[in-house]
Amino acid sequence: MAIKYNREKLGDGIHYNSIINERQKTNTIIIHFVTGLSQETASLNAVIPYILAGSSSVYPTITELNKKLSELYGAVIKGSVSKMGDSQVLSLMAGCINDRYAFDGEKVTEDMTKVMTDCLISPHLQNGVFFEKDFELKKRELIDDIEAEINEKRSFAFKRANMNIFSGEPAAVSVKGDVSHAEKLTSADAYKQYLELLKTAQIEIFFVGAQESAGCKKIITDSLNSIGRAFGGENSSAKSPLKSEVCRVTEKYDVAQSKMVMGFKTDCGDPVTMKLMNAIFGATPISKLFMNVREKLSLCYYCSSGYNDKKGVVYVDSGVEQENISKAEAEILNQLDAMRRGDFTDEEMENARKSVINSWKGVSDGARSIAEWYFSRSYSGDSLSPEEMIEKLKKVTREDIVKAADSLKLDTVYVLTGKEEKPEN
Amino acid sequence: MEKKIIRNERTGEQYIYVKHPTGLDIYIWKMENYSTTYALFGTKYGSINTKFKTKSEPDFITVPNGIAHYLEHKLFENEDCDVFSLYAKTGASANAYTTFDKTCYLFSCTDNVYESLEILLSFVQNPYFTEETVQKEQGIIGQEIRMYDDNANWRVFFNMLQGLYLNHPVKIDIAGTVESIAQINADLLYKCYNTFYNLNNMVLSVAGNIDEDKVLELCDKLLKNNENPQLETAFEPEPETVCKNEVVQKLEVSMPIFNIGFKAKPESGLEQVRAEIETNFALSLLADESSAFYKKLYDDGLINSSFSSEVFLGDGYFCSIFGGESRNPKLVRDKLIEEINRCKKEGLDRDRFEAVKKSYYGALIRDLNDSEAIATVMLNAGMEKLSAFDIIETVAKVSFEDVSERLAKQFDTEKVTISIIEPVHGEEEQA
Repeated sequence: MAIKYNREKLGDGIHYNSIINERQKTNTIIIHFVTGLSQETASLNAVIPYILAGSSSVYPTITELNKKLSELYGAVIKGSVSKMGDSQVLSLMAGCINDRYAFDGEKVTEDMTKVMTDCLISPHLQNGVFFEKDFELKKRELIDDIEAEINEKRSFAFKRANMNIFSGEPAAVSVKGDVSHAEKLTSADAYKQYLELLKTAQIEIFFVGAQESAGCKKIITDSLNSIGRAFGGENSSAKSPLKSEVCRVTEKYDVAQSKMVMGFKTDCGDPVTMKLMNAIFGATPISKLFMNVREKLSLCYYCSSGYNDKKGVVYVDSGVEQENISKAEAEILNQLDAMRRGDFTDEEMENARKSVINSWKGVSDGARSIAEWYFSRSYSGDSLSPEEMIEKLKKVTREDIVKAADSLKLDTVYVLTGKEEKPEN
Repeated sequence: MEKKIIRNERTGEQYIYVKHPTGLDIYIWKMENYSTTYALFGTKYGSINTKFKTKSEPDFITVPNGIAHYLEHKLFENEDCDVFSLYAKTGASANAYTTFDKTCYLFSCTDNVYESLEILLSFVQNPYFTEETVQKEQGIIGQEIRMYDDNANWRVFFNMLQGLYLNHPVKIDIAGTVESIAQINADLLYKCYNTFYNLNNMVLSVAGNIDEDKVLELCDKLLKNNENPQLETAFEPEPETVCKNEVVQKLEVSMPIFNIGFKAKPESGLEQVRAEIETNFALSLLADESSAFYKKLYDDGLINSSFSSEVFLGDGYFCSIFGGESRNPKLVRDKLIEEINRCKKEGLDRDRFEAVKKSYYGALIRDLNDSEAIATVMLNAGMEKLSAFDIIETVAKVSFEDVSERLAKQFDTEKVTISIIEPVHGEEEQA
């Protein structure tokens, strides 16, 4: 029943992580390139996984590539970009069904791995750079994506809040960069950066399946052996410093409902305690924020808290009518004070603990969630399994939680609101 | 108690169906070696069911829009506490949702599964609301409705439905409107509850590492006998033609967002499953990422990777939808109509048919990894009195000729609505 996790060094700054879980009916391969976040390179880096996932020298158009993937029982290859602390993570993900489900015994998984590694190390080129037309389309799509962030108001508000919470730090940079940088991208620059990343970035490979596949591993190893490495060093993140004064920012857009994001900084070095504190405070539907700010007082339609362990930040994310903004802020602070005073019952504490245990135990059921777990762990410098983290969680005491809550200091209040002024209640 | 094993030779998978003496349909899928159990308790009652009658009330009555969703919110409160706080003791993660044609209560958990199941079965069968608690909910649901007013993807979809449908209540927001929910009171909620939350109209679906006998023991203990009310729902007659060809709204978005809907004749039962799958195949062959049509529009910059298509169907409605972002949505519509007419004349791309079939099959196999997906498929199929394997079998058997026929039948290029959300700021302001 238990899953087997193994991490193995393949080369300079390259690791192969295999997660074997016999219940998996699919095989999943994820290749992460981890590099530093900066305003100058964020867009340049962000466009690369999307170009790579769209073609290769073997399947030079998206149509040909997709045709091949359809034949492999709808295998998927996807590019994505994400943020972890102060790092930017460029990823290629591939997934397909386990070979035993194939109609005629085809070797679906190895075939897919080959398609994927071709995308990765043998892109479709023209005059020694990324194929111009593909590049231009992906570049325009990147710009469209950045501009479309405003369509989803909750995540947009969160992004704008992060720019203020992490002001002056790499984590403030939006994961896809900004339009002004994106507009200046050229295929030649992107290709040069791609070669640079192949050489210098930290590379983390994850294989998740029902059993080890020596064939897949060999295909991946062979392809990576073909690149010359000059590894730039492991990535890490610094805890975000507290501002000397609370930063308050209000931005106006054409919206009916306002959003408020509050950022709190902590110097607490114990992420497990912080996770439990956060669960009691605002991460579940039985938390203080949900039960009081939303249910009892109807001040917000949603109001929840989250914890960024890499940066040492707890944020409270809420959807609130404009006339209730100050009331909601006061009540959120009020609930945090209750946490600091230890004003929560043993039942609240045990229920929150059960809720975190429930979510951690479920992590191993999903291929992507378990790969994400171990990626996050290795970034933090350990390889603790969900079960090992649960053991730590069981030992956290009321005093630990009070101390963790007490370490939170308000840093930033960001409000996104409508253009029409409404009187405060 | 009638107990059947439903087995599928193709995948080697199986689950159990039980018709409980109380009238409830129970589906249990044991997933060895999984940590998570996912349970759904649902009623075949959604936002569209606003007109109904029963044996005891033989005249059709009409209730306010949004009442099914309102009822879902209120059921989450017991007489003395919130349902979430009951689940808190088991560590389960609980939720509920209302769609056009169903309301479901669910939990997922890794420990204390039978305790969680007991909570689920109990609270859904024990409504408690007073005028006061009903009134209190107006504020929260009103805010929820307003939140969706800012959501461009939600608006573009409902605006399209309002263009496609003249009378069918599918065109109304699931949560209703601020005005319609103001008419809701405790009496109406009880009336709807007593009508639709009858076990004869409900399904329990559980997937995970569970013991079926223990599940059935709990059902015997907790399920209440209730007489079949002989419920009938009805809809105003819906014309075959669309109501409006174009609906345009302005919101804070970066680029126009569009939905293009093709209205078709609704089906039911297994024929509905066939129609859905064959139409999905037609959509893939017409315009998925591997199609020549997609490539042409993509290369011309008319669509981006947000372009996608889906079949949207239920009791009394069926349409095919293309959606995405474009600087020129009306041109996308014109090209689409042109392509559909061309394919009707010259035929769909036969070379890609087998690959499309393998893709669908692969996606269904992927779902078997996941207790949530399995419980949901069993529930959805169960509500239509179908088997969870009917989809996989229909996919395996569908032919190119079936799909071509479906294209001819389901895509009438006269019955089209385009819905567009345009940016508030015009090009001139941005310059």
